Amino acid sequence: MKPGIDDQSKPQTMIQEKYTKRYQNLKVAEALSNNHLYPFACNELSSIIDLGYSQLPKDLKAFIFRDCLSAFRLLPEMNTSAAVSAANLLVKSVESAFPKQKKNLAIVEFKQAKVALKRRTKSHDEHIDLPSLPQDIFVHIFSFLDLYSLLSSSQVSRSWNQATSEGSLWRSLFDLHFSHKVLIHIYPGIDWREAFKNEYILYKSSKMLRSGRGYCSYCDSVVWHDNLRCPKKQCRLKSGKKPLDLMLTHEVVNYLLGTTSSSDESDSEDEAVRGLWAYPTLQ
Amino acid sequence: MSEADMAIIKPEMMMKSYIWLETTDGSIQQVEQEIAMYCPMICHEVLQKGLGAGSSKNCAISLPQRVNPAMLSLILDYCRFHQVPGRSNKERKVHDEKFIRMDTKRLCELASAADSLQLKPLVDLSSRALARIIEGKTPEEIREIFHLPDDLTEFIFYQEEKLEPLKNLMDDPRIRLLNRLYAKKRKELKEREKLKGKEVEERVDERSVDDLLSFINGKDHKVVKTSKSKKKNKKRKEHKNKVSHNLHSKQQGVQIVDETASSVGGVSNLPSMEDDIFSLKTDSEDGYVDDGMDPVLKEMLDREVEDFARRLNSSWVLSSGQERQPVHFSINGNGATRRLTAIDD
Repeated sequence: MKPGIDDQSKPQTMIQEKYTKRYQNLKVAEALSNNHLYPFACNELSSIIDLGYSQLPKDLKAFIFRDCLSAFRLLPEMNTSAAVSAANLLVKSVESAFPKQKKNLAIVEFKQAKVALKRRTKSHDEHIDLPSLPQDIFVHIFSFLDLYSLLSSSQVSRSWNQATSEGSLWRSLFDLHFSHKVLIHIYPGIDWREAFKNEYILYKSSKMLRSGRGYCSYCDSVVWHDNLRCPKKQCRLKSGKKPLDLMLTHEVVNYLLGTTSSSDESDSEDEAVRGLWAYPTLQ
Repeated sequence: MSEADMAIIKPEMMMKSYIWLETTDGSIQQVEQEIAMYCPMICHEVLQKGLGAGSSKNCAISLPQRVNPAMLSLILDYCRFHQVPGRSNKERKVHDEKFIRMDTKRLCELASAADSLQLKPLVDLSSRALARIIEGKTPEEIREIFHLPDDLTEFIFYQEEKLEPLKNLMDDPRIRLLNRLYAKKRKELKEREKLKGKEVEERVDERSVDDLLSFINGKDHKVVKTSKSKKKNKKRKEHKNKVSHNLHSKQQGVQIVDETASSVGGVSNLPSMEDDIFSLKTDSEDGYVDDGMDPVLKEMLDREVEDFARRLNSSWVLSSGQERQPVHFSINGNGATRRLTAIDD
């Protein structure tokens, strides 16, 4: 009976299409041009390749190859050590999994990127004196930063450290991350940084720092979160103050490929959490 | 101007009124009024000082210090585009994205100038651009971009030199904190000594008897003490390269001592690390007691502190972004692990 045979072949191609579609919906490539998200996107690519590049459907392989090339091409513009190490990781995955021709093409791109990077860092040796900005401009700039960047900024210099201790910054972060599940007693003179830190440690929220991804239940998709919310307007309206469920790289890859790999980073979560707050505020 | 020239001039040009603006370097230029008035600060100046303000070279409106001529022309370009009412939001957005593409130095200057002219949309635009530059970077990378010196490390390193309480003339909370930590550490070390044996008591007796003598010999003690603690701190310094670890590990050092002391003596109320930094109880900060520990004990403590500092180095937040190195919390006696689990609860 013919229908039986047809039924057998149908699920396979459907599955293949599903993976490719999912991958496209993930919009990994879009994140590559974002300074902050570049390392996350590279890690996702590496994980996908490591998990089983050879078993992926043909068109998905093509997409991944294309995105790896973009990643390497964009590397010189990302001037961070995080980006460089993410790219190194990616090239290792490429070296071990890609077929010969594609591998060589990718590695050539990577090497060119490295050369371009070196050229860039050399030209930045001029000692320009930047104008010192007034404190409230700093606070304004910091108000646009996410948690990781804010904590980074607090360690840059004394004046930056003072600027980052501004209560309003931490109040809005608190609001963003915790207001939907924590009721806090606000009294005059409250130290918002303390309050935030306490909640953060309580909820073991180091995921906030290690993830650019979230799952939005309203559009049923994995997205790059925009300040912990879904980038789609309708979802934001529906969800109100509730932030997305954050997802780590390995969770994203599991979602894509239907696998159940776990991360090797889970143990170090607590140490990282404590390490964050070790830096005191110099008032 | 000859009559022929007058004829060529278009009527619109005659209608436009100009405002004279002066920057701090003394250069004066004239700008179309409607463009200049887009800046709230200029607007206020004109309204406040009456219509005469800025109407001629002599009574030009002087702009705030942070506005240099280059920035002024940039800002005027911005105003010139935006003050036209007929533009769509999309057009403005596209223009802004192109406009804001410049190097970091100019962005800072622009933000500063826009702020002094109270041109809020431009302040927002440049601040967002600067925030995008800072985003996702480690402190070292940020310092590189903005050419900022690391004055934090030096400051805290300097404090670390001695274990003595520092003079706190300004009642600086940082110094208060450090003094408390020093005092606490000294106290712990002393308590450890007590647990060891009765020999310490004899020493205490000696001291009380020799109070006057010790006062006279105070200087000698100080010298001895600082050289000891300098040695200790120097060893610690070699293993650290990040500023935060100094404070953190010193306090970790206190923690370890606390832990090992309590493991001998039984249960103790483990203060959480964070509480230690931010809410220490007042200890007697003033008189310090001579350490007089045996070198073996000191060595052990030194090693523990260094060990912890090394561990902290590897688990520092900077590496907790995407490139985290594996954290090895190797067990160093029961004390260390117990402390971790206590806080996990």
